[in-house]
Amino acid sequence: MHPLCQKIRSEILRVSHKSGHGHIPTSFSIVEMLCAVYAVMRHDPKNPDMPDRDIFVLSKGHASLGFYCALAAQGYFDFDEVYSFGAFDSKFGCHPDRTKVPGVEASTGSLGHGIGLAVGIALAAKIADTSRQVYTLIGDGESNEGTVWEAIMVAANLKLDNLIVLYDNNNSQSRCLPIPNPGERFAAFGCQTVEVDGHNLEAIKKALVKPADRPRVVICNTVKGYGCATLSNNVYEWHRRAPKPEELDKLLGELHAGAI
Amino acid sequence: MRAQFRNTVTELAAQDEKLVIVLGDISVYMFKDFWERYPKRFYNMGICENTLISVTAGLGSQGYHSFVHTICPFLTDRGIEQIKLDMCYNNFAGNIVTCGATFDYAWDGATHHAYTDLAVLRMLPGMEVLQLGSKREVDALIRSQYKNAHQTYYRLSDHPHAIETNLEFGKGTLLKNEGAPVTVMTAGPILANVMEACRDLPVNLVYFHTLKPIDKELIERFRDTKILVVHDAHGLYEAISEVPALQMHYHGLPDAFCGWYGTVHDIRKRIGLDPAGIRTAAQALLDRHTPAQRKLTRTGSGS
Repeated sequence: MHPLCQKIRSEILRVSHKSGHGHIPTSFSIVEMLCAVYAVMRHDPKNPDMPDRDIFVLSKGHASLGFYCALAAQGYFDFDEVYSFGAFDSKFGCHPDRTKVPGVEASTGSLGHGIGLAVGIALAAKIADTSRQVYTLIGDGESNEGTVWEAIMVAANLKLDNLIVLYDNNNSQSRCLPIPNPGERFAAFGCQTVEVDGHNLEAIKKALVKPADRPRVVICNTVKGYGCATLSNNVYEWHRRAPKPEELDKLLGELHAGAI
Repeated sequence: MRAQFRNTVTELAAQDEKLVIVLGDISVYMFKDFWERYPKRFYNMGICENTLISVTAGLGSQGYHSFVHTICPFLTDRGIEQIKLDMCYNNFAGNIVTCGATFDYAWDGATHHAYTDLAVLRMLPGMEVLQLGSKREVDALIRSQYKNAHQTYYRLSDHPHAIETNLEFGKGTLLKNEGAPVTVMTAGPILANVMEACRDLPVNLVYFHTLKPIDKELIERFRDTKILVVHDAHGLYEAISEVPALQMHYHGLPDAFCGWYGTVHDIRKRIGLDPAGIRTAAQALLDRHTPAQRKLTRTGSGS
């Protein structure tokens, strides 16, 4: 595990423990994806509104804790600030608010919305004749929503080659409405697709910069709770739960031992 | 009204490179000239109302003055969560323009009827809600509102009135002030029927094209009268109710699907929103509340 990703995961655990909030397993599954996006996109943590910046939209807003910690790791704000997570006066809600948190481009929470917004933003970049790229991270559970597929159809029809969708394939819907072969499905909807190990930072970065003449979908095969066996082996129990003191020690131990 | 919408935005687009049209496969041929002139700013995006709204919000996030347009119930009933979250909660500006008001598509049945939009959209923080009644209102209010920082809803109809009204955003029009004990308040295209119904009745008549923000100052002037809200949708009664402690009555839609076909005029007649039905409702309220009638009622009751 890349040291930056390990640091982000340890902060996720500590913030969740301190605040009593957070979807830890889903936040863990996207850490490498977030780090890869911010490694390749044009952005300036000291100038979040930089006019020519690329844009990232976290569509699965319940992974906000992972998002905040990734933004802190980039320098948008200090990790210390995130410890107010979920508190009454905090900027850092359990779903992200773009008007409060630097680096958050869209307020999300209800699933199936961020991707449509990202399509509109990518279209705006095309109308303006800019080379800005628009990234959005969606979940496989989120992709039960019909709006995901509406938005993808529209993006493909508009040939938005500046739209890159990261699909968190963490099998969250295996007990409900699974989506087998997501790459084939997105390809059938007109996208260029590539499938990678969603915990291999370099592989994701490589996939993100691969040239395309249409919307790109990077299927990231991930593990909910990646990095802590206790989480990945008990994803339903840990779906939305903060660790108690003794559990925090155990999870940090597993994380630092590199256990999966 | 749709043709006026097309004319107005086409004219505005010549001066405003940020103006973008997003259609849900409706009014496409009507916008042919716009499409040919500004192909990069015209998108007939598909029959996908949720995404039309999300994309409009995304365009707004980048400073575009976008108009999303399709049939009223599909865009506003189906797309309500996208309007609420992607536009209003995110505070991304944009313009929603619908056709097919209330019973405009009477012959298509209740799937195509629209009456919740005004009331529901009024409840969304930051939203401006306009029920435009005439072509002049379409032109004036699109021009005044389309590139502000808000989310603005414009409801168009195929049955406009041609009555002169105040064209200022947020302002009502006092069409008749008889110093009467009953004031009829109405909004949008139904004004034509209301005017005909009330022409020689001793009632006051107030009209609105802006349902949010409602013109409270004008309403306050008639606080001491009985207010009869005549409306072919929900939303106006609730808007007027923002002024507390009024004595209000509603003459409009029944709590039932109006499952007939025919024309808008047929359905209006059946539910009493034709001139005769409106007149009957207004007359009934007048009969109960003219001073002479009150005296007779007291005598008759033996009190």
